Amino acid sequence: MVENMVENKIDNIKDKIIEVEGLTVKYDGNTVLDDISFEVRRKDVIGIVGPNGGGKTTLLNSILGNIPVYSGKIRLFGLDLQKFRDFHKIGYVPQNAIHFDPIFPATVEEIVSLGCITRKKLGRPLSSEDKKGVSHALELVDLYDLRKKKISELSGGQKQRVFIAKAIVRKPELLVLDEATVGLDICIQDQFVKLLKLLKKEMEITVMMVSHDLSGVFCQANRLFVVNKKLYVSELNENTDAEKVLREAYGRHFTFMFHHDHAKCIGE
Amino acid sequence: MADFADLALMFGYAFFQRAFIAGICAAILCSVLGVFIVLRRASLIGEGIAHLSFGGIALGLVISIYPFYTALVLALFGTLAISFLHRKRIVYSETAIGIIFSFGLALGVVLASISGGFNVDLFSYLFGSILTVSEEDIYFIIILTLFVLGFVILFYKEMLHITFDEQGARLSGVPVDIFEIVFNLLIALCVVVSIKIIGSLLVSSLLITPAASAMQFSKSFKGTISLSLLFGIFSVFAGLVFSFIYDIATGGAIVLLSIILFTISAITTKIYKSFSNQIKNKIIT
Repeated sequence: MVENMVENKIDNIKDKIIEVEGLTVKYDGNTVLDDISFEVRRKDVIGIVGPNGGGKTTLLNSILGNIPVYSGKIRLFGLDLQKFRDFHKIGYVPQNAIHFDPIFPATVEEIVSLGCITRKKLGRPLSSEDKKGVSHALELVDLYDLRKKKISELSGGQKQRVFIAKAIVRKPELLVLDEATVGLDICIQDQFVKLLKLLKKEMEITVMMVSHDLSGVFCQANRLFVVNKKLYVSELNENTDAEKVLREAYGRHFTFMFHHDHAKCIGE
Repeated sequence: MADFADLALMFGYAFFQRAFIAGICAAILCSVLGVFIVLRRASLIGEGIAHLSFGGIALGLVISIYPFYTALVLALFGTLAISFLHRKRIVYSETAIGIIFSFGLALGVVLASISGGFNVDLFSYLFGSILTVSEEDIYFIIILTLFVLGFVILFYKEMLHITFDEQGARLSGVPVDIFEIVFNLLIALCVVVSIKIIGSLLVSSLLITPAASAMQFSKSFKGTISLSLLFGIFSVFAGLVFSFIYDIATGGAIVLLSIILFTISAITTKIYKSFSNQIKNKIIT
């Protein structure tokens, strides 16, 4: 009985990928995030939406330790952010990743290989396991045949897949996507949704995705985070009142037109 | 004036052998580091450090310390000063480079005037010379070259990651701030190594031009470094030969050749691209 309780507790701790308590972030005295608390559990797919300047990217950057926080606690994989060093467990596709220097001379394979670098492997050449990981990631995103091509010669959708391959090459447990589909046409967004489904199936990955594509978020995510200085969390299922959630967060009325067939078309 | 028949004879001279070794070392370092410098849009830093080292050389000549050492010390301090001013957000990095740049040049000119004006030695440091590379220089240059090259080979992929995506590199656990400081120190070493042959006023060109030429052709990062090496070594070798045969300033000859190579590369690539686009359009229609 006691053993079972202990095991359950350990499972419960292992299950928590991110724990945030009372997070407040300020830029030049202005509060960008105000007393935010939430948890992300293993295999969650979190869709993060909100108005421009609402603090979506700031939230991701605080979790990833890229910016200092004013107050609050952040724990990653059960460890305080200050003590957390296993960043190989996190794959990250930054905002505007595909808008890199257009004349940068590097092949697809060279860029994806950069995903193998970790703090523990600094100064070491790529191992055969790393090389296998690169090939596998390229196969997953369907770019293996284009691995020797110059990255700037790829289309927008292909470039985006390069960055996803780079993010997943170390087989991360958490994939963080910051507006990964912004500026891409609807066909590429469709491919992206399919790729995300494949990754979830193949790698049982936890995903946090910032997006302005509400229909994409509603199709993919099981939880919705609306960030507008404060955080509004909602479970996503057929009973979710999307209009109500968005009204609370954005402070204005929305008529949410959501086509059932669209979800089916891009979700399956 | 000698002619090309003297080419074999040329290598018989000890001073030319030393110049050749120093030149090839400079070419290797400048061509490899140059690719990172160009892609990090840090071309100005080479210029800044080179001018600062000019001040260092003048200081060495005035106080009778071997100028290589004073140039190295000043270049390293200048690099750290640039990093400090930029990191502490006191000024933008290009402003910091501008301040250091002018300080080096001003110091050099003031010290030269104190010592009674420009002499031949200082002139050779400004524009490079094949006559002034001593045996002591060679040991110094080889040690610095092996050190810089070893670092680049060891941390090649980390440097590529920082160059391509600094934020991503930071997240992967690469200590980006430390690497930036070390990278700037490597540029300082590279500049000091190259001063004897290329000259402090022209060394930044060897840092930029072979890399810029290589980028016209190559699709991969490794390919770009290999081509940059090829262009850099060719420019230095041919520049040394021309300098010997026609008795012209070594640095000038090397830099002019590397700029000619860049012009040919840029034009050839443009023509090739427009030609292949025309063929593609014809196939489509």
